[in-house]
Amino acid sequence: MNNKRLFTTMTALLLIVSLMAGCSGNNKAGNGAASSNAGKGGKEKVEITAWLTPQWKGVLNASEQGADYDSFLKYAAEKFAAQYDKYDASVKVEVIAGDQRDQLLNVNLSSNTPPDVFFESVFPMGDYVHRGAMVPLTDIVDDEAKKDIDQSFWDAVTFGDDIYFYPFQHNPGTLVYNADMFRAAGLEKFVGSENEIKTWTMDEYQQILDALKTNLPKDKYPNAYPMALYAVNNQGDTWNLAYLRTFGSPFFNNEGNIVLDDEKGAKAAAWLKKLYDGGYTNPGAESVSSNDANAMFQNQQLGISFTNPILFSNMKTNMENGTSPKFDVRLANIPSESGDPLSFTYVVGASVFQSGNAKKIEVAKDFVKFFSTDPELVKSSKNGIPVRSSVAEELKGENPLFAAYDANSKYLFNFTGNVPGYSQLREVLYPELQALYLGQKTPEQMVKDYQTNGNKVIEQNKAGSVIYNK
Amino acid sequence: MKLRRNIYAKENMTGYLFILPQMLVFLLFLVYPIFEGIRLSMYRINYQSETFVGFDNYLTLFHDPVFFKALVNTVVFVVFIVILTVGFALFVASAIFDKNARYVSFIRGSYYIPVMVSMVVMSMVWSFLLNPANGLISYFARDMGLGAVNLLGNPKTVMPVIIFVTFATNVGQAIILYIAAMIGVPKDLFEAAEVDGASRWQVILKILIPSVKPTTVYITIINIIAVLKIFVVIQLLTGGGPNNASVTLMYYLYNNAFKYNQLGVASAVGVIMFVITLLLSVPQLKSMLQDK
Repeated sequence: MNNKRLFTTMTALLLIVSLMAGCSGNNKAGNGAASSNAGKGGKEKVEITAWLTPQWKGVLNASEQGADYDSFLKYAAEKFAAQYDKYDASVKVEVIAGDQRDQLLNVNLSSNTPPDVFFESVFPMGDYVHRGAMVPLTDIVDDEAKKDIDQSFWDAVTFGDDIYFYPFQHNPGTLVYNADMFRAAGLEKFVGSENEIKTWTMDEYQQILDALKTNLPKDKYPNAYPMALYAVNNQGDTWNLAYLRTFGSPFFNNEGNIVLDDEKGAKAAAWLKKLYDGGYTNPGAESVSSNDANAMFQNQQLGISFTNPILFSNMKTNMENGTSPKFDVRLANIPSESGDPLSFTYVVGASVFQSGNAKKIEVAKDFVKFFSTDPELVKSSKNGIPVRSSVAEELKGENPLFAAYDANSKYLFNFTGNVPGYSQLREVLYPELQALYLGQKTPEQMVKDYQTNGNKVIEQNKAGSVIYNK
Repeated sequence: MKLRRNIYAKENMTGYLFILPQMLVFLLFLVYPIFEGIRLSMYRINYQSETFVGFDNYLTLFHDPVFFKALVNTVVFVVFIVILTVGFALFVASAIFDKNARYVSFIRGSYYIPVMVSMVVMSMVWSFLLNPANGLISYFARDMGLGAVNLLGNPKTVMPVIIFVTFATNVGQAIILYIAAMIGVPKDLFEAAEVDGASRWQVILKILIPSVKPTTVYITIINIIAVLKIFVVIQLLTGGGPNNASVTLMYYLYNNAFKYNQLGVASAVGVIMFVITLLLSVPQLKSMLQDK
């Protein structure tokens, strides 16, 4: 009896001890902290993690065997480790979904386990700079890189006095149109050449929308609409931001505050509402996502939609593979009242998180510098548009559109204004657009409320910004 | 006497040791987070520091119209979904509990299938059906000449649609519980009612419903708690829109915690939700305990 009791007591104690051991496990190991273990060649072993959101498949292109979103960074990591002589470095590469980026980063930052390197578009990452979560990369940028990469890209990645992202490629946002649909609606004269980014005036754009609405043969294009409009969430909101600049609003002032609440801003909002109410867009913009719009365009249900080089190239690949209907797709600029195209770009590059471990930060910075400058690896930037003039020049034969994108670069506007709290600011825009499309707010009320609520977000975030409170 | 007390103490000690692992898990993963949540709700949390701000986060909430919209929407969801679930489950269970066993199994299985399917999958299916641009429902509506139908984009219809989707997914659980409870009601009560010439309606009203009261209380409590936390269907179907018309407390909490990085404000929402759940559940629990 006593033995039995002793056995049960011991079992219970064992359970407790194992449970406590499990709970109190040294999480430094999980942290990937630089261990003092000797690695290859007697060098100290340092393991870092690199995250990326899906950008392009393969090292150089998607046709490679086993091409995936992490192929490039994995290859770069191998090449880096083979030549690196400071430590026995290894890089663990993970792909994360773009829409889970903030959730994953916030959770990992709260638990002090951020990734060491993050490869992503710069625009949603600025908040992390303002929050003090990133390490400046100014010291790894040399004069040669500064000369090879245009100043507008350095401006986009500079917060305060420091550079926080190493520009790798960029993805300019444009419109895409179905040239076959244009021809079917009698719009041949508005179709640009294959390697051109066509610029239309506002009057021409309205003529195009009118013709697509009324002249399209219903038997060939049933349930088709002239242009894409969406506002269910923040995805693809940069095009919505561009539309709000159509009538010349500068959007941000020099102090980094929103200044949309004026005649120009209200006129742009009224224009969007007029397009929606006039049946020039897909129905239900308030509950349609940019993904829906993209799918509709590929199914020939929209004449004009939004795109960037990656989406455009994926679209063409889908057509070649037969996974979506094949038709003639071409690029156009977002029109504006001034006649100049509205042009913006997503600069994509790597950043280094403040992990608190000096060795890991050192390795992470060396890794970023390595794959952002290695002559072989930087060629992969052709999957978007290379930020390096040398690469664009070398590969212009492969992609004739490089020249057209380059011609657009003088019209680039910085859509984030590098303001603190930009991610939160994005959450303010789409509910206002929904209210506009539903008729719950007038265009004047919408721009007024967006400015008030948006500036409140910016002010709150300025208070906690390490850049503004240096 | 002393010896007996020692024996009792030893026997109790074994029992306590057995529940100790569970108590540790309970304290670590349930009680501690509650207190930590209350503490965090009084701090402004940055990546680098925590600053004590007292009730500032609560004041921020009370000045935010979206918070009140979320609160009202959540209450509406709780009231309608719980009433619909209890009412419909009672109706189905009382209609079939005394029928042929195979028939009962078939009905039970039919209603339970949606419960087994993940809410994410159900939400995605509904999203495909309801998409205003290329969804099946919009397509048929257009074909029938009803024009563009956008049930999720209309502030008047978005709430009823979400209530229906959630109710349709959850009601199977309540039906199963009711059928089990009704089968357990002593047969002699029904026989006595039959002898007295009671109608089916009277049997349901006077015997069946009072007999399954503990089940009703249980279903009500678990549904209140579940619906208070309604999130997936909002995230996948509407994103809280249009213009915050379907935002709920849980979705508001998620936005603050993971999109805006306002962990203090998010914790304050969590504390308020905890208090609401307590206030709604305590009277029900009390009545259940008193009955026992």
